[in-house]
Formats: sequence, C-alpha cells, structure tokens
Amino acid sequence: MATTSTSEGANRAPSPTGPVPGKRRRLRDSPLRPGMWLPTVVAVALVAAGWTYIAETQPYVLPKLPDVGATLADDPMAFLGNAWSTLSIALMGVAWGAGLAFGLSLLMSEIPVLRRAIMPLAVVLNVTPVIAVAPALVVAFGFGLAPKVIVTAIITFFPVLINVTTGLRSVPVPVMHVFSTLHASRMEILFRLRVPSSLPYAMAALRVVLPLSIVGAVVAEFVAAGSSQGLGTMIRNSAAMGQLSYVYAAVICLAAMGVLMLAFTTLLERRLLFWHESQR
Amino acid sequence: MNESITVRGLTKTYEGAPAPVLDDIDLTIPRGHFVSLIGPSGCGKSTLLRVIAGLEGFDSGRAALFGSTPRQMCAAKAVGLVPQTPALLPWLNVRRNVSLPSRVNRRAGRGSENPESLLELVGLADAARKYPHELSGGMQQRVAIARAFGMRPDLLLMDEPFSALDEFTREALQWHLLSLWERMSTTVVFVTHSVREAITLSDEIVVMSARPGRVYEVLPVDLPRPRDGDEVAGPRARALEERVRASLQDAWQAGSAPDDLIPQ
Repeated sequence: MATTSTSEGANRAPSPTGPVPGKRRRLRDSPLRPGMWLPTVVAVALVAAGWTYIAETQPYVLPKLPDVGATLADDPMAFLGNAWSTLSIALMGVAWGAGLAFGLSLLMSEIPVLRRAIMPLAVVLNVTPVIAVAPALVVAFGFGLAPKVIVTAIITFFPVLINVTTGLRSVPVPVMHVFSTLHASRMEILFRLRVPSSLPYAMAALRVVLPLSIVGAVVAEFVAAGSSQGLGTMIRNSAAMGQLSYVYAAVICLAAMGVLMLAFTTLLERRLLFWHESQR
Repeated sequence: MNESITVRGLTKTYEGAPAPVLDDIDLTIPRGHFVSLIGPSGCGKSTLLRVIAGLEGFDSGRAALFGSTPRQMCAAKAVGLVPQTPALLPWLNVRRNVSLPSRVNRRAGRGSENPESLLELVGLADAARKYPHELSGGMQQRVAIARAFGMRPDLLLMDEPFSALDEFTREALQWHLLSLWERMSTTVVFVTHSVREAITLSDEIVVMSARPGRVYEVLPVDLPRPRDGDEVAGPRARALEERVRASLQDAWQAGSAPDDLIPQ
C-alpha cells in the first residue's frame, strides 16, 4: 500500500514541462492508451486466427470469415430487414413483459393478498422452460406476431417482477419514518418513495432482460415454422441448406443488436440513476 | 396542559423482552423548551422519541402533544423529525429535499418556510442545486435539519442526529441548530448520548436508566441564552457536566445491568 502511494505520488509530481497531474490521470483512463485497447485487440486477433484455421481445415464446422463478410456486404438490406423484424418482436415482448411485471409489482406491494396469490404462479412460470410451451402457443395463436411476442414477454416477465418487488421494499426505515411523521398517504409513499427507490432494481433487471428478449425472439422464430421473416427464421433456413456463412452473418447481427441494447441501457442508467451509487 | 407535551404512566414492552423498554414514564415538556433525553443504551430514549412521534404504539399510559394525540399532530404536519441518518431522497436536489414536506400531505394545509431562506440559515444557500451524494455527511444532516424546520413544526424530534459526525462538524452543527431554534422557537426533544451536547443545547436534561427504561432525573440547564462557546465551556457548564455524569452513574446503578455486566 505504502509503495503504491509513493510511486503514484512520484508519477504525478508536476514537472515544469510535463502535463499537470489531472491530465495525466485522465490519460491513464483514456481508451486511446495502448494498455486499454491492446489486450482486446490481441484476444480478437487470436480468436480470428483460430477461427480461420478451423474454417480452412474443416469447412463444415465454421465458414471462412471473409465469406461471412461478403454475405453481409452482398445484401445488407435483407439482414437489416430481418434484424428489424426480430428486434421489433423482442422489444414488443419486453414492453409487454416488463410493463405487466412492473404494474403487478406495484399492485402486490400495496395488496399483500395479491402478492400471496401471484408470487407462486410467477415462480412456477419462471421455472417452466418457455421454449417447451412455444409450439403450443403457435398452435393457439398462429404464425403471426402474437406467439413470438408472448414467448419473449414470458421470458422477460419474471426478472422484472422479482427485481421491482425487491426495489419497492428497499426504502430505508429512517426515510419511512420521516414520511410517516408527515402523515404521507400510501399513494404518496408509493410514488414519491417506493417507485424511485425501485428504479435501480428495475434497470438492473432491464440489463438482464434486454439480451434475453433477443434469445426469446429467435427461439420463437425457430419454433414458429412458416414465419417468413426474422434472423431466427433466416438461421434455421440457412442451416437446413448448409449455408454456414448466412448463419454466422445472422449471428453477428444478433450480437450487434445485443451490444446496442446494452449501450442503450447504460445510457438510460446514466440519465435516470445519476444519483445512485452504481453510477459513481 | 395544552401548552405542553405530557407523558403519563407510559409503559411499553417489546414482544419477547424480559423487561419493559419504557416503564411508567412521566414527563412534561413545556412549549418552546429544548429537552434532551440521555441515558445508557437500552434505556428506551429512542423508543420514547418514536412513541412521541406516533411511529410506535405503547401498552398503557398516554402521550399527549399540546392536547392532541401524536397521530393528530402528524396529520397536521406539526411534527418534524431528524433521524440519526440524514434520510434524504438521493434523486432530489437539496432544494427539493428541503421543500419535500410542503409537497407531501397537502391536506394538512400547513404553510411552509421558503426553502431558500432555510438553506441560508444552515449555511447551504450555495448548495441548493446539488444532490445529496455531492455533499459531506455534515452538510447532508444540515439539509435534514432544514427540511424538519420547513413546516415550522410545533414539535421537533431529533434522534441522535449528530452521532455519526466528527467532533468538529458536530459542534458546528450544534450552533447551527441553536440559531435556527432561537429563531423558530419550537419545542425540541433531542436524543443524545453526549453529555456536552445535551448541556450546550438544552433547557432540561432528562436522565434515563435502563432495564427497565425509566426517567431517573430531570436536570435543568440554567445557562443563559443565547449561548456562546465561552458560556458552554465555562465553570457553570463544567459543574453541570459533573452533575449530569454523576446522575448517569446513579441511573446506571439503579437500572439492573445486563447479566454480563453485573460485578461478581
């Protein structure tokens, strides 16, 4: 500990020509510093080299990377269209699943009877493999959007329900006491105290649920045979025809969607939770 | 009667506890007085505060605040509370935290202080737009005090509000509190475990004993007001300090000590 602090002190000692300590500190955390990006680049290069080796020796295991690139470049609109189709299913599923879960959490926090009624059902729903239900949903709702959105909604429902329920109860006792001495109504406590307190928990759930929603949408497309659009459909059809470069091009699109969703969540967190410990 | 807080024969036992936490408490606090509750841990001083605040019930006896029940006083927003932790809402800035009481329970129709002038009184006018996480612990507690004064409460309840602060900050805050109190002239019940703090602030010191929680003695603090640093460090204050400490000792011996502390 002592050595670290002295070496840091020596590092930051301002010299007449050198940068001011604050600036050097910033450079240390800057993404431009080789120490920041080099490990990632090396790891990616290693994976790419391994991939290329396997693709050259065993073409039925992995497609060549340039082929995947060419497939993407050939018809980007097809991939974009299919990606949008999958994304819209995922987002609709999240909207329904998370929205319902949030609403139910509010109701359960105010009405304990409801909590005892709903919680066991929700737990059972959570441990049921939704994928197993998906074919039945297709039978019930046809090949349209409905069964896919329902599958995605079910997958996203539980994490949001559990997290928001926990968050609504996370108000510290002293704050509750202050509100009690002001004779705040239940609704005032709910919306001025419980709901804002639950936001960090809701955002944590969203972080888990958004990537999950893509999984849900793709699986739903796998199962709902006869649907003509979506990356899941594309993967299933291309795999059946042995077109590996299409499969992996679609997988890359899915990964990109996941990254975008996480970036969006991070942005949203910075906006909504600037006051929370997690943002410091 | 209506001009004081009166506690009569108040008894409360927590479920499963061997002795009552509050045993036959009798206490009268005239309007406008600053009263400290002091005693060893387990003497029920914080419990008594919560009972007066209407946050906890009791088994027998009664507690009346200027002729009303604690719940009636809270419904009228006539009670301000400063807990041990600042208990600010982290998503609201300082100004909105201070003005929060005026936005909750509007039915009470109680007029409130201007948050800007309150912040000025606690020396935080510049921090109005800051958020709690940008403030030090002492500043956060000043915001909590400003918030409690916001509704011009008839009764201000403070539960060891400075116990988590360092000594220097603690003393500075005591003077802030005194100047606010002299201006607002509300009744204050202040729980503390610091003898010096009790002497600096109070008109009367209620010494409590533990197991069961009882009022052992009520000592008047006959220092002139407004008080200053010299007064509080002077010979009269020191004599009083000795007196309170002796009383605390006696109270300690009067109450049955926890088993592991009984001398063999």
